[in-house]
Amino acid sequence: MYSIGKKKRSFVSESVKHLFIWLILGFSLFPLYMVFNISFKDNTQFYNQPWLPTLPLNFENWAKGWDNIGQTIANSIFLSVSATAMALAFGISAAYFFARCKMPGWKIFWAIFMILMLMPGVANLIPLFSLLKNLNLLNTYFALIILGTSGGQVVTIYILRNFIEEIPKDLFESAQMDGAGHLQQILHIVIPFSGSIISTLAILRFIFEWNSFILPLVVLRDETRLPMAVKLYQIEGAYVQQWGPMMASYAIASIPLILLFLFTMQFFIKGLSSGAVKG
Amino acid sequence: MVKEKFSNNIQRISKDWRAYLFVLPSLLLVLVFSYFPAYSAIYHSFYDWNGADIEKFIGLDNFRRAFTDGVLGRSFIVILILVLANFVKMVPSIAVSVVIHRLKRENWQYLYRVLFVIPMIIPGIVWLLIWKFFFDPTFGILNKVLEVTGVMSLLQWIDSLAGWGLFVEGVDPAWLSTPQLIVPALIIWGFPWVGVVGVLIYLAGLSSIGTEVYEAAEIDGIGWFRKFLNIELPLIMTQVRLNAALMIINTLKSYGLVLVLLGVSGGPAGAGMVPGLYMFRKAFVDQEAGYACAIGLLIFALILVLTWINNKYMRVDH
Repeated sequence: MYSIGKKKRSFVSESVKHLFIWLILGFSLFPLYMVFNISFKDNTQFYNQPWLPTLPLNFENWAKGWDNIGQTIANSIFLSVSATAMALAFGISAAYFFARCKMPGWKIFWAIFMILMLMPGVANLIPLFSLLKNLNLLNTYFALIILGTSGGQVVTIYILRNFIEEIPKDLFESAQMDGAGHLQQILHIVIPFSGSIISTLAILRFIFEWNSFILPLVVLRDETRLPMAVKLYQIEGAYVQQWGPMMASYAIASIPLILLFLFTMQFFIKGLSSGAVKG
Repeated sequence: MVKEKFSNNIQRISKDWRAYLFVLPSLLLVLVFSYFPAYSAIYHSFYDWNGADIEKFIGLDNFRRAFTDGVLGRSFIVILILVLANFVKMVPSIAVSVVIHRLKRENWQYLYRVLFVIPMIIPGIVWLLIWKFFFDPTFGILNKVLEVTGVMSLLQWIDSLAGWGLFVEGVDPAWLSTPQLIVPALIIWGFPWVGVVGVLIYLAGLSSIGTEVYEAAEIDGIGWFRKFLNIELPLIMTQVRLNAALMIINTLKSYGLVLVLLGVSGGPAGAGMVPGLYMFRKAFVDQEAGYACAIGLLIFALILVLTWINNKYMRVDH
């Protein structure tokens, strides 16, 4: 008798937990639902029935949305991929230096990076802008890529150094015996052994770059070069509100990251859950 | 000794100078794009500078001006309110992670982790623009939700007692264009405020609690809240403190949120103006880059002081 009562109570308490989570989840995902829902409505349908999907589905909203931001999605992909790749390439080699080569001066170099960890770069924006202007880099992708690369250095180096230090030393030593240089050691030992943390860092870096908004807003002038974020911000205020196409463009802007996430879900959740990325 | 070490170093460098090539690119990048701008910001904060041709040394005038600038003063109050609100907004993440952790079946735990990651992969700008649309008085979803759920009538009832004149029957509150409603709107946005990075990090902290601890607690008849206070909270306190520190720093730095929701003037009457946005506006709209640098340094100094306090008095120990 007692055990049945206990089972029942545990079933009820489990259900309460699930209910709580689904409620919060419902609120969290509600905006996303509304974006997809409204993206298929014309304005009349939206005013009459904002909550539920209505027929006919207006697929031309998505075509208009694509006209609005299709180009900028390509721009964003180019910018994010380049900045992520460069940030990781430089970050990995610097982390290798700190983990494996205790060359004279390394402590000073390390301090140069770690001080930045404590320095919030809030006052930097204005001098950065004038620096780019003096270097003649305003309105170039190069400026954004190089800034994304340099901005990604400190955390990448900090996290990767720990991982590289944990790779067994014998591996590096035997590679050196075989005459492998630094570059070979990075390519054949560091990258294969810290692959999962590198992919986590890459995904986080990519998301960061994909979301980057203020820098491209002040650096880029050309309408055709804008990344997705700046373009969305501009069209939001610019036209008479056509909610359907607007929501379709929001949905389109989210799709690349959703795809990325579907393919890299394990890395992502494992990396964040292990707490390795706490910084 | 010193001499010996020195010649040792020379030997090492000449033998393996190539190693430096691996740190050099990163080093150059941060020197040029982090250290130089920081130096330049300090330097220019003492100048009357328009970002281009005018550059005149004026000593501490920018800072004096900042301390008497009413708009800046109010912007610090706004950001203070937002920081305090963000403390409250940390609660749902903690609650969600604790509830997920308490689930008995691991596959459910995994599924929920995946589902809670979804909001994170929506670009930040899209998230903000959706909420901007939600806040729209006539078409926005927020007012409709408040009406459907009856919260609106509650607000109208409270208003009729308090006499704010903000929630009146038959009039849709305009969240982003009524000065008194702007700060509440900046707090409400993002409801239910579950940050996925937070949830995953808390879950990592909680994962060290074995089921036997819970079973023991159940035998002792400890209620769910006592379980939270005595078992779970102490274990995630490190993460909570870390997240709180990061949250404060990020809130003080942030202004993209206000820029997107309210525009560069911080909304009507500048009611949503935050220090970062004021700096941005001074530099890029009003061409007062020198003053903007000084404002940036004040925000920087504030963050530095808070970081120091955090390190000194909130030592994370197990």
